[in-house]
Amino acid sequence: MTAAVQTLDISPVGRVEGDLDVRVDIQDGVIVNAWTQAELFRGFEVILRDKDPQAGLVVTPRACGICGASHLTCAAWALDTAWKTEVPRNAILARNLGQIVESLQSLPRHHYGLFMIDYTNKNYSKSKYYEEAVKRWSPFTGTNYEIGVTISGRPVEIYALLGGQWPHSSYMVPGGVMCAPTLTDVTRAWSILEYFRRNWIEPVWLGCSMERYEEIKSHDDFMAWIDERPEHANSDLGLYWRMSQDIGADTYGRGYGRYVSWGYLPHEDKYNKPTIDGRNAALIMKSGVYDGKTDSHKLMDQKYTREDTLHAWYDEPGGLHPFDRTTVPTRKNAVDMDRKYSWSTAVRHEQDGRLEAGPLARQMVAGGKHGEAWQHYDPLVLDMFRKLGGASVMLRHFARMHEGIKLYRQAEHALREFRLNDPWYIKPTEKDGRGWGATEAIRGALCHWIEVQGGKIKNYQIIAPTTWNVGPRSADGARGPMEESLIGAPIADPHDPVEVGHVCRSYDSCLVCTVHAHDARTGEELARFRTA
Amino acid sequence: MANLLWLQGGACSGNTMSFLNAEEPSACDLVTDFGVNVLWHPSLGMELGENLQKMLRALVAGELPLDIFVFEGTVVNAPDGSGEWNRFAGRPMKQWVADLAKVANFTVAIGDCATWGGIPATAPNPSESEGLQFLKRQHGGFLGKDYKSKAGLPVINVPGCPAHPDWITQIVVAVATGRGGDLSLDEFQRPKTFFTSFTQTGCTRNMHFAYKVSATEFGQRKGCLFYDLGCRGPMTHSPCNRVLWNRQSSKTRAGMPCLGCTEPEFPFFDLAPGTVFKTQTVMGVPKDMPAGVDKTGYIKLTAAAKAASPRWAEEDIFVV
Repeated sequence: MTAAVQTLDISPVGRVEGDLDVRVDIQDGVIVNAWTQAELFRGFEVILRDKDPQAGLVVTPRACGICGASHLTCAAWALDTAWKTEVPRNAILARNLGQIVESLQSLPRHHYGLFMIDYTNKNYSKSKYYEEAVKRWSPFTGTNYEIGVTISGRPVEIYALLGGQWPHSSYMVPGGVMCAPTLTDVTRAWSILEYFRRNWIEPVWLGCSMERYEEIKSHDDFMAWIDERPEHANSDLGLYWRMSQDIGADTYGRGYGRYVSWGYLPHEDKYNKPTIDGRNAALIMKSGVYDGKTDSHKLMDQKYTREDTLHAWYDEPGGLHPFDRTTVPTRKNAVDMDRKYSWSTAVRHEQDGRLEAGPLARQMVAGGKHGEAWQHYDPLVLDMFRKLGGASVMLRHFARMHEGIKLYRQAEHALREFRLNDPWYIKPTEKDGRGWGATEAIRGALCHWIEVQGGKIKNYQIIAPTTWNVGPRSADGARGPMEESLIGAPIADPHDPVEVGHVCRSYDSCLVCTVHAHDARTGEELARFRTA
Repeated sequence: MANLLWLQGGACSGNTMSFLNAEEPSACDLVTDFGVNVLWHPSLGMELGENLQKMLRALVAGELPLDIFVFEGTVVNAPDGSGEWNRFAGRPMKQWVADLAKVANFTVAIGDCATWGGIPATAPNPSESEGLQFLKRQHGGFLGKDYKSKAGLPVINVPGCPAHPDWITQIVVAVATGRGGDLSLDEFQRPKTFFTSFTQTGCTRNMHFAYKVSATEFGQRKGCLFYDLGCRGPMTHSPCNRVLWNRQSSKTRAGMPCLGCTEPEFPFFDLAPGTVFKTQTVMGVPKDMPAGVDKTGYIKLTAAAKAASPRWAEEDIFVV
């Protein structure tokens, strides 16, 4: 190790809402401490105060250009529960379809545009898969990079059929949706889905039919599938798995092993009179908290949500439920790791503490027997979690991609179930009240709380998946989930700690991360680079 | 070969996401076919192999030419003008913007945030945000009203929330192929080729507008969204119904009222109670008229339209 401080910037990739700084301390080649800092404040909750009750439908999709449909979904359901609307089944299906196609878009876009580029990092040039990785996944010039990034624009064409454009439509409104699709919209959407399947999912990603892939129910099934045919082993999925093991991406990035999902996709016939308390029983993909230590599942409820602000730049009491928050930003946002160091609050479950949100969390919950018999159940990723001894960078990203096939089926379901001559909207009566709307954005648990008083917004609060994951330490000193996941990551080259990038990118946080690596003993800065 | 640098301030990345939906040319085509050399972009995965700050400093020092400087998001000035609420590469983003705008051949503001301040600048504008050369309708913005890039143009404003991918790629291609001089800008510095016609131009509901047949609530299969649902299509400049979105549709075609997001006032009325998805009227006459129409003309026009309206116009037209 040289004495001079070396500053590096490598692989600038994904971001959404601003900058995230990650500081890690390295000792004997291993990360021993970590801090994540969100570095941008725009104040959407402050802007929404005293505005039209429906202002959230316009403003919140613009909180995030990647997850706009997810924000819109939350904003609409929050008003539905506040106004006690009736939502026709067509509208539930049309909202679900919008949510689904946004997530389908994100799969190849994040996978090729942001995640796989790291597998072409020169640090892995000794891997036997390196040459193939460079051929397929190099930015712009990689064969499958170009296929994946270009085809990622197709699924959201379906969003445009429903809402006019993606990103940033507001077609979901309390009482239903603005659109009334016709048969040609439905048939066109089918053909777009088919195109996505025939040109990417099956030939490039899986190397087999979706039906064959859907037979995989366990870790053993999956390993047998890889060995079954060269097309499987050499597909982008097969190569991802094999190379991940070869470069050790299955050995770190573990985290707390406790997960949260709000669940999503309300059933078209079960949430027509939406209430906050009635949501769990209406969801196709059930909500839940999974604790890996006790291997137990339970349902999640918004009432357990708490936000600590001891280490966040807000001058408010900590430990509040979002309905009780006032969003008072600290004017002087000086960075002090012992005091305040982030615009993100530290979100926790009142009983279970810090929880990881995201696609892996959804799959941990999907493997539980809690909930109702008709709700979605999928044992695969939880079985892998048990067999592989916990989470890792590899498993976290696999879970994200695995969900794609299931979302595809749910999109087909929506297209089959539309009753084109039935209503899409039932005009509601505006009233005062409290509402809550939630969904699962591709990157995890998202929800909005609204309080309408005197015909305007009294309080609007958003907790994004990134808030769960990249939050700073909570009042009790517990690290945020991403901070915790960094602990124990081996750093082969402290001047180019690509392993940190893998951990951060596996969370697909909505912030670009700038990573600062420090020597744990001397505090000397070793490297600084940007990641997703 | 044109060097392009794309930075984000108070942004949601919506314009980047929109840009990645482009097909003719696609983001990859810009690089491989048009020789656009993307020096850095927060989402596009180039390995730099060198220090980002070092590269930024080389650009600022003029050692590396900056042909196109694209800025997405607002310039954040909070708190108290310092810009510390949006830090980037070790300092407030606004300081980078000031330095880079001085050396850029063309400076392009992408999306409402960078052009006029957009959603973050909505009252009470907690982040003290502004656009590069405007704050809402007020000329000046962060760079000042006299700012000109090295090519002699003011900031090229490509508004929209988000901007359509074609609006972005066509401007980049024009500059990269040496046609930057052909860009002609309107009073808000928007390229005239896109922002002279109206959102309503090409809308599938134009006949309902002409006969004053209103969509009175959402989810209907007929009617114009202007009369009751607050659509701003007749007074908003954009090609949304000429250059379709995601190759398929537009908001007004799908049944969503235009929010006027290519105009400096977006979001209109600061989203005050009673203004969202509702046409603002005085004695039954819209407060905001179709561009160039006065109140007397409007009353005459709609009376005649109603009287002449054929029966089919009242029946469903966008049928299953």
